[in-house]
Amino acid sequence: MADKAILYDATRCTACRGCQAICKEWNENDEIIPTKQNGVKSENRGSNENPKDLAPNTWLKITFNELEHYGKVDWLFNRRACMHCTDAACVKVCPSGALYKDEAYGITGFNKDLCTGCGYCVEFCPFDVPRLEGSTILGKTKMSKCVLCTQPSLNRLDAGYEPACVKTCPTDALLFDDREKLIAIAKGKVAALQAKGFTNATFYGEKELGGLHVMYVLNDTPDKYGLPVDPKFPATATAWQDIIQPLGWAVGGLTILGLALNYIIAREAKMTKAIPGKKEKK
Amino acid sequence: MTNHWNDIANSDCILVMGGNPAENHPASFGHIMTAKDRGGTLIHVDPRFTRTSAKADIYAPLRSGTDIAFLGGMIKYIIDDIEKNPGNYNMTYITEYTTSPYLVNPGYKGPAELDGLFSGYAGGLNETDAAKRTYAKSTWAYVNDDAGIPKKDKTLKDPNCVFQLMKKQYARYTPEMVAKTCGTPQKTFLEVCRSFTATGKTGKAGNILYAMGTTQHTVGTQNIRAYAIIQLLLANIGIAGGGIQAMRGESNVQGSTDFGLLYNVLTSYLKQIVNTDTTLQKYMDRITPTTKDPNSANWWGNTPKYVVSLLKSWYGANATADNEFGFHYLPKPHTGKNYSHIALFEAMETGTIKGLTVWGQNPAVGGPNANQERKALEKLEWLVAADLWQTETANFWRRPGVDPASINTEVFLLPALNSYEKEGSVTNSGRWIQWRYKAGDGPGEAHDDLWMMDKIFKKVKELYTKEGGPGAEAITKMDWDYGDEHPDVHKVAKEINGYDLTTGKLMSSFASLKSDGTTSCGAWVYCGSYTEAGNQMARRDPTPDTYNIGLYPKWAYAWPLNRRIVYNRASVDLDGVPWDKEHPVIWWKDGKWTGDVADGGFPPINVDPKATRWPFIMTAEGHARLFGSGMAEGPFPEHYEPWESPVKNPLSKQQFNPAIKVWRAAEQGTVDKYPIIGCTYRVTEHWQAGQMTRNLSWLVEMQPEPFVEMSEELAEDKGVKNGSRVIVESARGSVNMVALVTKRLKPFLIDGKTVHEVGMVWHFGYIGLAAGDSANLLTPHVGDANTMIPEYKAFLVNVRKA
Amino acid sequence: MIQKNEAVVEKYSKATRILHHIHTAAFIILFLTGLVLFIPQLGFLAQDSWTRILHRIAAAIFIVAPLIYLILKPKAAIEALKEAFTWGKEDIGWLKAAPRYYFLSDEEGMPPQGHMNTGQKLWWFIVVVFGAFIALTGAVMWFLKTIAPAAVLQWMVFAHDVAFIVMGAMLFVHVYLGVIHPMMTEAWRAISKGTMSEEYAKSHHGLWYDKQMKKDNEKGK
Repeated sequence: MADKAILYDATRCTACRGCQAICKEWNENDEIIPTKQNGVKSENRGSNENPKDLAPNTWLKITFNELEHYGKVDWLFNRRACMHCTDAACVKVCPSGALYKDEAYGITGFNKDLCTGCGYCVEFCPFDVPRLEGSTILGKTKMSKCVLCTQPSLNRLDAGYEPACVKTCPTDALLFDDREKLIAIAKGKVAALQAKGFTNATFYGEKELGGLHVMYVLNDTPDKYGLPVDPKFPATATAWQDIIQPLGWAVGGLTILGLALNYIIAREAKMTKAIPGKKEKK
Repeated sequence: MTNHWNDIANSDCILVMGGNPAENHPASFGHIMTAKDRGGTLIHVDPRFTRTSAKADIYAPLRSGTDIAFLGGMIKYIIDDIEKNPGNYNMTYITEYTTSPYLVNPGYKGPAELDGLFSGYAGGLNETDAAKRTYAKSTWAYVNDDAGIPKKDKTLKDPNCVFQLMKKQYARYTPEMVAKTCGTPQKTFLEVCRSFTATGKTGKAGNILYAMGTTQHTVGTQNIRAYAIIQLLLANIGIAGGGIQAMRGESNVQGSTDFGLLYNVLTSYLKQIVNTDTTLQKYMDRITPTTKDPNSANWWGNTPKYVVSLLKSWYGANATADNEFGFHYLPKPHTGKNYSHIALFEAMETGTIKGLTVWGQNPAVGGPNANQERKALEKLEWLVAADLWQTETANFWRRPGVDPASINTEVFLLPALNSYEKEGSVTNSGRWIQWRYKAGDGPGEAHDDLWMMDKIFKKVKELYTKEGGPGAEAITKMDWDYGDEHPDVHKVAKEINGYDLTTGKLMSSFASLKSDGTTSCGAWVYCGSYTEAGNQMARRDPTPDTYNIGLYPKWAYAWPLNRRIVYNRASVDLDGVPWDKEHPVIWWKDGKWTGDVADGGFPPINVDPKATRWPFIMTAEGHARLFGSGMAEGPFPEHYEPWESPVKNPLSKQQFNPAIKVWRAAEQGTVDKYPIIGCTYRVTEHWQAGQMTRNLSWLVEMQPEPFVEMSEELAEDKGVKNGSRVIVESARGSVNMVALVTKRLKPFLIDGKTVHEVGMVWHFGYIGLAAGDSANLLTPHVGDANTMIPEYKAFLVNVRKA
Repeated sequence: MIQKNEAVVEKYSKATRILHHIHTAAFIILFLTGLVLFIPQLGFLAQDSWTRILHRIAAAIFIVAPLIYLILKPKAAIEALKEAFTWGKEDIGWLKAAPRYYFLSDEEGMPPQGHMNTGQKLWWFIVVVFGAFIALTGAVMWFLKTIAPAAVLQWMVFAHDVAFIVMGAMLFVHVYLGVIHPMMTEAWRAISKGTMSEEYAKSHHGLWYDKQMKKDNEKGK
């Protein structure tokens, strides 16, 4: 099956945040939402943007960014959630197979049951997306992130629907379709933006990390939207997973092999020396 | 709306003014984006750079309450350009479809001559005597020929023609004056003019979208009149992608207005009965417009048919020709007396009103001068509130700082069902009446409005029957038969549609309503919505219209008569051929209209000069009114400063609207104490007075606290840090809010002086998951001169660190 | 093998042995609960975080146990540390002779060793230096998770893993030499019972044995 993807057109997004709300509702991340009444008060921090950051119960949030560009004040909105990278560092470092590349859709799937809560994905994600729920001090944790509405029993994709965020978008700023189709659409959009005078307009996500499954149409460079300009698969992940871990197995294996060999030789040697040994003992 | 939501996609240029569709009408923005995709330009004119501005091609800031200065500047720009480049405009439309060539009484004088006033004012400049703050309108009239038909000069050269009078008044609205008054940079203003005026060209469509930022002013109605003038001069009314769209804030607020929500109208915009209407005939004579022009359809001339059918609907068999169809059962408000929101609360405070029912409303948060309104509630003997959640209004007696023991009001809260828990119709801004089904049961003892209304009515009727009382017959004679258990909503819908009482069949069109008592109809514009062919509102056939301009004529039902674009006969030339052949609304072909339901259905002017009727059938003239003699403060919109303003009116010596009622003169803030303009507004995440959204944790998390937006410059002046708490105070109250310091707001440069403006959300109160002060503790008890809609958008405040 | 009335010497005090066992147990738990994350097929064992909790309990013991020993037996601890990190010519000799010794049971070239032979010194080095290192990187991941910059945490994971590999491999060597190697007949007895035969002490820890004898003799005078 062809890879699926989301195309987020920031120039169409009105930051109504229907996606942010429906994400919580559909994925049942709404059991504890901060309110004054339950003691974890949500506060206005001098911005329309809230909550402050992605969280185990906030898989998707819209960011608000005020700036001046193209000679005037602008208010840029952006969508923060899992990018579903093709070369997913989180999958690479996940020790239990909880994170995996979904073969049907190309997205970065997550089997929460298998999650050990090690948090390696949190550290190695080039987009700082996964979040740990529970106490990292006590150590009883699980990771949590957008799974593009593929949670068991809440799986929209398998049922033939688009993800909830896409469904709720009133301006079609979010599209869900075959990745290849969306790439063509996005290129057209960026060309149109550039023709309109947005000379820095960018299509983001086609090549990054082997191709993201959440792609962006931006009217300026990615940094203006708070996106890493050139996200890289972390070298430490490669060094760790592709060099150190195999090396570890090699070292471990060779050690045991060596010891076994030693045992055979040393035992043999000791046997043959049994007589001089006796002599010595005298 | 003259048009409808989907039609916005047909626009070449969209002017959003006094509205914020991206935030407050999120679904509408899809259509706006489609228009942009098709090459359309989006202009946003607003005091604040909002989420709508962020998507606009042009953003023009303007000081709150100066819309008419801005729009007047646009009118001047257009008139000057029409005279210079008439080829860029649809001159046939201007001269044949509008009142621009009409000659006006030479005694008429305008603000250019009278320093801001119009002829006929009882008082002097800045009159303070309430009795004299009114106009005698005898000079605001056309000059008629011998047949009684207004004289016209289609060359538009006569100095007394409407076009020239307009030109004279708006000559003062130069770009310099606009910049000086509105604080809009001249360059930006002219960019707006150029972009929007380009839609004056035949085949181009310009659209104006507005909301409460336009209406909630002392000059709210005149703001809309200014839109109408612009759109008529640009030939944008009646065409696809054109028109003026009132974006209604609630899914069914259009429906509530259609059903006589406002005190001055009965259902379907029939004018209210008053105590001087001693007979039905007198009443109908008073409210039925007449014309001597044989080519004017004067649709309101049918008023008696609608009135009698309405009375038949209300009083059934009790309404007979002998008893003037029950006309005398009805209570009749006193003429000249005001029954608007502000007036009701003033009357509560004086003890005149003793009981109040608030149905899905929360005036303790949403009402202007909320401190006063909360206090006024204390004077009530009883209060009934119907809502989905506990509201501030239902809990006014235990609001912070109040001793509940000292309040004697008996309060009842009726738990109501939400719109998905009941069946019925919802009318959207585009006049589409859409049938909705019940999706699920509500919680506990909650009931739908119809059930509650039915139970209350029956009990009240029982009491009146037993005990009698003043006006008892208004209730006891009423025809009320929707079933014994749960009232049948289909019965209600059918009654609204109306019956032919001789056959017992449902009416199919209001054109067949009669004034002899043989038809009934609960709301004449809804006639045709539920016919013998079935419930038209429940239709869900997405078949496109003949010309594929997004009308979807088989989807639900649009009043009137399923017409999707009203005044659509102005979308064609004198031969019935569309001005814009790419987006034809209607087209005269083979002796009949094709496309949308044609407005009135009369043949084109050139096809049958005798049988034709002018396209604007709802005015007595048959032409679209540029000169609005029915207005309280003048036939043309004139800029006046808000009641509270830090600026002396740059356009005239008349400071504020000379015809508004001032309720509390002592509560007028002065510039020395309150130098900053305050403006209130709504955000996407909350809805109105918040009772529905401040109880939903998802929304509370996103927008947890009330905040005040201010410029970086003002914040620096006041030593306020972003995210810190500030006190905003007016002459009426003070609020504690989070400061949202932003570069999106800039101080205005008004006549060389810096004027600051702050914007505050008003959704908050003392009940619910998210609590905080409502900005309405600051707003004044002053309203529009015509509608009394409160001034929520421009008043004076001061800001300091909390 | 142990004969009655055999001449024995005390190699490890009771306190030392208790420390060794606790430390060993902690290390093995750390090793196994860490290994779970190395083998994706075993990942399910870690899924409800209990291996992490075990790992952290063991880590606490692994760090705290030697510190308690240090407090209770400061002299012995410091002496041992001193010996472990003091290298002499006998160590060079050991390194030269070790291959022949351990493979061919050729004891000829092996110079007499102290209480700790060079191999044991090496093991101590691993335990102390890598132990501190793995504890430090572990502590950062434990207490600064989500607080420290992601790049720092990435390197912590990396470094923790390197230390794990080295210590893990050396653990095999240590256990092998202590328990399995044909020549090390009494090492296990020493660490489990605390004693070893004079014979074994003489041949494997000659220097120490001599010193011990000397001390005893002096005491005897």
